[in-house]
Amino acid sequence: MLKASALGFGHLAFADLLNKVPAAAPANPLAARQTHFPARAKRIIFLFMKGGPSHVDTFDRKPKLDRDDGKELPFDKPRVTFAETGKLLRSPWKFKHFGQSGIEVSNLFPHVAKHVDDLCILNSVHGTNPAHGGACLKLHTGSDNFIRPSMGSWVTYGLGTENENLPGFITICPTLAHGGVRNFGSAFLPAQYSATSMGVASQEAKLARVKFAKNEVTSKDLQRLQLDLLSKFNHEHLDISGAHSDLESRILSFELAFRMQHEIPQIENLAEESEKTRSLYGLDQAVTEDFGRQCLLARRFIERGVRFIQVTHSNTKVQWDQHGDLLNGHNANALEVDLPIAGLLTDLKQRGLLEDTLVLWGGEFGRTPVAQGTDGRDHNPEGFTMWLAGGGVKGGFRYGATDEYGYYAVENKMHIHDLHATILHLLGIDHEQLTYRYAGRDFRLTDVSGRVAQAILA
Amino acid sequence: MLDMNNHLPKQFFWLFLFIPILVGSRIIAEENPSRAGSTAGVEFFESQIRPLLATHCYQCHGPEEQEGQLRLDSYAGMIQGGKSGAAVVPQETAESLLVIAVGYANEHLKMPPDDKLPEIEIAKLTEWVAAGAPHPDEHQNVVSKKRLNLEAGRQFWSFQRPQISPVPAVSQPNWGRSGLDFYLLARLDDNQLTPAPAASNRTLIRRLTFNLIGLPPTAGAAARFAQDRSPDALARVTDRLLASPQYGERWARHWLDVVRYADSNGLDENIAHGNAWRYRDYVVNALNTDKSFDVFVREQIAGDLLAADDDQQRRFERLTATGFLSLGPKVLAEPDARKMEMDIIDEQLDTLCRSFLGITMGCARCHDHKFDPLSSADYYALAGIFKSTRTMENFRKVGALGKWWENSIATDADHTRKNDHATQLAAAQAEVAEFIKSTDAAVLAALPECTSPPEDVQSIYSAEAKAKLNSLNAVVTDLQASMPELPSAMGVQEGDIANLAVHIRGSYLTLGKVVPRRLPDLFAGTQQASFDTSTSGRLKFANWIASTDNPLTSRVIANRIWRWHFGQGLVGTTDNFGNLGERPVNQPLLDWLALELEHRQWSIKALHRTIVTSSSFAMSSQDNEAGSAMDPENRWQWRANLRRLEAESIRDAMLFVSGQLDRSMGGSLLHLKNRGYFFDHTSKDTTSYDSQRRSIYLPIVRNHLYDVFQLFDYSDAGSVVGHRTSSVVAPQALFMMNSPFMATTSAALAESLVNNAETNRQAIIQNLFQQAFSRAPSAVEFQNALDFLNEATHIADAEAAAEKEQEAWRLLCQVILQSNEFIYIE
Repeated sequence: MLKASALGFGHLAFADLLNKVPAAAPANPLAARQTHFPARAKRIIFLFMKGGPSHVDTFDRKPKLDRDDGKELPFDKPRVTFAETGKLLRSPWKFKHFGQSGIEVSNLFPHVAKHVDDLCILNSVHGTNPAHGGACLKLHTGSDNFIRPSMGSWVTYGLGTENENLPGFITICPTLAHGGVRNFGSAFLPAQYSATSMGVASQEAKLARVKFAKNEVTSKDLQRLQLDLLSKFNHEHLDISGAHSDLESRILSFELAFRMQHEIPQIENLAEESEKTRSLYGLDQAVTEDFGRQCLLARRFIERGVRFIQVTHSNTKVQWDQHGDLLNGHNANALEVDLPIAGLLTDLKQRGLLEDTLVLWGGEFGRTPVAQGTDGRDHNPEGFTMWLAGGGVKGGFRYGATDEYGYYAVENKMHIHDLHATILHLLGIDHEQLTYRYAGRDFRLTDVSGRVAQAILA
Repeated sequence: MLDMNNHLPKQFFWLFLFIPILVGSRIIAEENPSRAGSTAGVEFFESQIRPLLATHCYQCHGPEEQEGQLRLDSYAGMIQGGKSGAAVVPQETAESLLVIAVGYANEHLKMPPDDKLPEIEIAKLTEWVAAGAPHPDEHQNVVSKKRLNLEAGRQFWSFQRPQISPVPAVSQPNWGRSGLDFYLLARLDDNQLTPAPAASNRTLIRRLTFNLIGLPPTAGAAARFAQDRSPDALARVTDRLLASPQYGERWARHWLDVVRYADSNGLDENIAHGNAWRYRDYVVNALNTDKSFDVFVREQIAGDLLAADDDQQRRFERLTATGFLSLGPKVLAEPDARKMEMDIIDEQLDTLCRSFLGITMGCARCHDHKFDPLSSADYYALAGIFKSTRTMENFRKVGALGKWWENSIATDADHTRKNDHATQLAAAQAEVAEFIKSTDAAVLAALPECTSPPEDVQSIYSAEAKAKLNSLNAVVTDLQASMPELPSAMGVQEGDIANLAVHIRGSYLTLGKVVPRRLPDLFAGTQQASFDTSTSGRLKFANWIASTDNPLTSRVIANRIWRWHFGQGLVGTTDNFGNLGERPVNQPLLDWLALELEHRQWSIKALHRTIVTSSSFAMSSQDNEAGSAMDPENRWQWRANLRRLEAESIRDAMLFVSGQLDRSMGGSLLHLKNRGYFFDHTSKDTTSYDSQRRSIYLPIVRNHLYDVFQLFDYSDAGSVVGHRTSSVVAPQALFMMNSPFMATTSAALAESLVNNAETNRQAIIQNLFQQAFSRAPSAVEFQNALDFLNEATHIADAEAAAEKEQEAWRLLCQVILQSNEFIYIE
C-alpha cells in the first residue's frame, strides 16, 4: 500500500496499474513511471481550437470544391447533421505550397505554414459527434454520452509527472461549456489525475492562476508559524489515535502545498522571459498577446516536468464556430493563434524540446464543405484535420485523406479512438494495457477500439 | 474486445478479387434445398458458404486465431458465438451477428473490417441463415450460452432471497446487543479476531452526531453525554438526533449521491434544472418523516401512477418524486432524436437498476450481459417501459435544445394568482391603449389646420402626457416581469405505449426481434406473462422492486446504510451486486439486516437505531496486531474505521462551530431561471455559492462543482455513487491554507470566541477546544497554543494591539479547523 506521496496520498487501488505497467511500485502515484515500450514523446501540449476550425480552409485543400462552388454535393450528406446546409462552398482563402515537403496551407496560417516540415497533418480524423458538447467530450474522453476520464488524466495515470511539486496535468483557460470540467476531469480515476486548471476561457490569460496557490491575507512567516503549530497538533493527535496512513499523508500534504505555492507563482511569472521570447509568442501585440501567453505558459510548465498541458483557444464571441460569416470569423480566430503557435514551435525546437514533446492541434470537429446559409459552414465530424508535431512523428507528412470535397474521411481513416491509441503509443503506452478497474470492469481510454497509425511514426 | 475488429491483411483484398463470382449458382433450387436438414441445404453450405467463410473469416475466427473468442469454422462455434453473442441464429437474420456484420449497417460491427463483401455474397449468407443455417453438424446438440447462463446464474448468492441464519454461538455472548453483533462477532471469531474495546463517550457522541446529522455535537451536548451514566443514554441521544430536521438533510444527501442529483444538466449543454430542488426537498422530507422505503421506491419510479385519494398535496409530492427518473445528464444538443431518446432511456434504466437492485443493466444494451445472466432481450423488455414513459417534452429541434418534461404541481391558488395577475396585466395594457387613443385624438385635434400629422404622434405629446404614458408603460413592464410561473416539477408521466426491438450492438439502425415489456427472465422466469398494452408497466416494475419477491432491494439498501455508517459496505461494491461486484464479507449479517428492514415495515430510522445502538458501532478505532495482520483493511469490522468527513460535513461543521450556519431548510438557491445556461460558449461563470445554508442546499452544478465539493471527493453528480472515495491531495491543503472561505470562517470563529466577553487567553483556548473537538486541550496543546499566540501577535502586520490579538486568534482558529482531528472522525 502506498504510504505517502507528493501530490497524491493515501490508499490507492493501484495493484491493477502495477500489474499492467511494467514498473516497480512507485511510492507516489504521480511519480514518473516506466513506459510499456520506449517513448517517442515524454510530454504533450494540446492546442485546442474550440468550436471546430474548417479543415477545407486550412490544411486540407480541395481543388474540386473551388471548381464546383455553388453546385450540389454529388453524394449523400450524413444521415444526421447538426443544421440544414446547402450547396458546395469554395474556400475564400488562397493556398500555397510550403517547405521541402511542399504541403499546401492556406493563408489563414502564414506563420504555422513555415513549420510545415515539422507537422504531421492528419487529414482523416473522424468520429466525434455533430454537436459541440458531444464532440468535445468524445475528443477529450473518448465517449460522448458516458462520464469517462479525460485523455490528459489517462496520460498522467500512465506516466506520472516528472516534478513532484507540480500537478501532472494542467489546463489553461479551459472552456466551461460543452462538457466543461468533464473534458479534463479524471472521472473514476483517482483525483490526482484530474487537471489543475488555471483560469477559464472567459478570462484573460494574464489573470489565469492556479486556484488557492497564493494567500492574499497571511504573510509567509505567519503561514509558516501556522503550519508548524498544525504539525504539532496533528502529531499529538496521531500519537493518540495510532498510526494511520491518511493522517500521516495529510500532514505531508501541507508541506507539499507550501512548496507548491512557492513554485507555481514563479512559473506563472512571464516577466522572467526575454523580450525576444515574449515577442516570439506575440506577447507584444494586442491581438496575439492572450493566446501567446498561454503558449508560453505551456512551455514553462512542460520544461518543469508537467506531463500533459492543454491550452484552449476559445474566443468568447463564437470561437471557431462559423455557421455564418466564415471569412471574418476564421480570419479573426486564426490571427489570434497563428503567430503564437509558430512561436511555440520555434521555441520548442531551439530548446531541443520538440524532439520529445508532442504538440497536438485541432478542434472538436471540422466544418462542412457545403454552405450553411450563404457564407457559413456547419459542423462536420465525418472527416476533418488535426495535426501533430515533434515527439516522434514524421514531419512534412500528410496522413489519410477526405473525399474530393472534404466531407468524409475516406483514406487511412483515423477515428478519435485511433487518434488516442496513437498518442498513447507515441508516449510509450500500449492503449490496450492502460486500464483501470472500476465498478467491476476494466476501462480504457480507447474503450474497445483504437488502432495505432503506424505510418506516422518517425 | 470487439469481436471481429481485426483487420484483414491487404493481400487478402487482392486474393478476393480473383475468386470466381458465382452469379448463377443460387442455392435455393426447386425443392427449397436450403431447409435445415436437407441434403441440398448442406450441399449449398459446402459449395457456397464454407468457401466464403474460409476465405474471408477463418484467418481471424478459425483454428489459428479466435478474435473475440469466436470461431466460424465449426457449427458449435457459430451457434455459441463469441464475446458479443451468437454469430448465427438459424432463421433469425436480424439476430445473427454474422449477417449484421457483413451487412455493414452497424458502425461498430463491420466485417470483414477493411472491405465490404460483394452484395451477392452477403445475399448468400443471409439466405443461408434465413433458411435455417443448414450444416452437416446441425444435428449436434449445441446449447446456446444464454440458456446455460440463466440456469447457473440463478444460483448466484445475490439472486437468491436473503436467508435467516441461526444466531451463531460466539466467544463473548455478553458483547452482543442484537443479532447484528452476533453475526459480526461470529465472523471475527472464525478468524480469531477480537473486537476493539468500546470507544469513549466523547468519541461515540462525535461519531453518532456526525453520522446522523452531519454536524459536530455542541460542547454542551458532548459534555452532557459524557456525564450520562444511565443505560438508555445512547438510545435517547439517538432518538433526539433522528427526530431533528438535520437528520433528513444529512441522509438525503447520501441518497442524492445514489440518484445522481444535480441542479444542472451538465454533459454537453449545462443548463439549469430549475425545479430539481423540489425533488431534493421531497427526499429530505421523506427521510425526516421516515417514509417506508418500499413506498419511497414506488413513489420515485411510479409516483404519478399511485392513487392519491384526491389528496392534492400527496399527488404533487408523488409527481415530484418521479424527478428521480429525469435527473440524469442528457445530451440535449444531440441532433439524432432517436439516439437521444435511447440514450435517455439507457441512463434511466441503468441508474434505476443500479440504485435499487445493484445490477448493471446498462451492460446489456449492446449485447447480452457478459457476466450476469441478463440478456439484451431483458434489457429491451425493461427499456420498453421507459419508451412508453414520457420523460421529454420534445427532442432537439434545430437551433434549440431538447426539453425535459415537467409535471404541473400548481394548486388552485396558484392558478388564481396567475389569472389575477394576467387580468391586472390586461387591464394595465388596456389603460395604455386607451390613453394613447384619447391623447392621440386630442393632440391631432389641436393641430393647426392643413398641418399633416407626424408619423409618430407621441413625439408631439406634451411633456406631461409623455410622463403619464411612461408611467403607465412601466406598470405594464413590471407586471410582465413579475408574472408568476406556475410551479412544476421534473418528472415523468405515461407516454405512448410501445414495445422495443432488441437493438443489435445498441444501435437503432440494426433492430432485432421485438420484445414485449416484462421483468428480466432471471427474476421472473421465461414463462412470465408480459405486461399488457394499456400501461407502460412502470408501476408493475416499481411494485416488484418494492416487494419481497425480489432478492436484491432490501439487501442493497441495507448495505448502503451500513456503508454510510461504517465507511465500507458489507458488499464493497455498493452499486453492483452482480458477478463483477464483490461478494459480501459477511452474508449472514447482511441478510439479517435486510430481513430486519423488511420486517420492520421498511423503516430506515428503525434500522439506524439497530445499527447505532449496537456494540459493533460503539467499537473504538484502536489497532491490534492480530487484526492488522489478518485483516488490514478491516473488512470484517474488528474496529471502527477512521474516516474523513465528507465535503459537505467539512463545510457545514466549519460554519457550525464558527456560529455562521444558517439552518433554514428547503427551497432553491439558484440564480438562474429554469433551463437557463450555467455555462454557454462564453465560459462566463454564473455560479454563486455565497450562502451559509447547509451544503445540501448549495447548487450542484455538474461539470463545475463548488470548490469544496470538487476538492473533497464529492460525488460526481452524474452517475450512481454509493461509495465516495476519500483522497488526500495537496490542492486540499492549498484550500485549507489560502481560500477566502477558510479566512472568513476562521475570522468568524475567532470573533465568536473573543467577543464572548472572555478576555482571558486560557479560557478562550479551553472554549475553542471544547467547541471544535468536544474536549479540553492537553497541557502540551495548551502551551503550544499560547506560544503561538505570543509569537503571532509579535509578527502580525497590524497597527493596534487589539487587531494583532484578533489576527493571532484568527490564525489559531484556522489551524484548529485545518487539523486532522477536526475533519476525521474515529
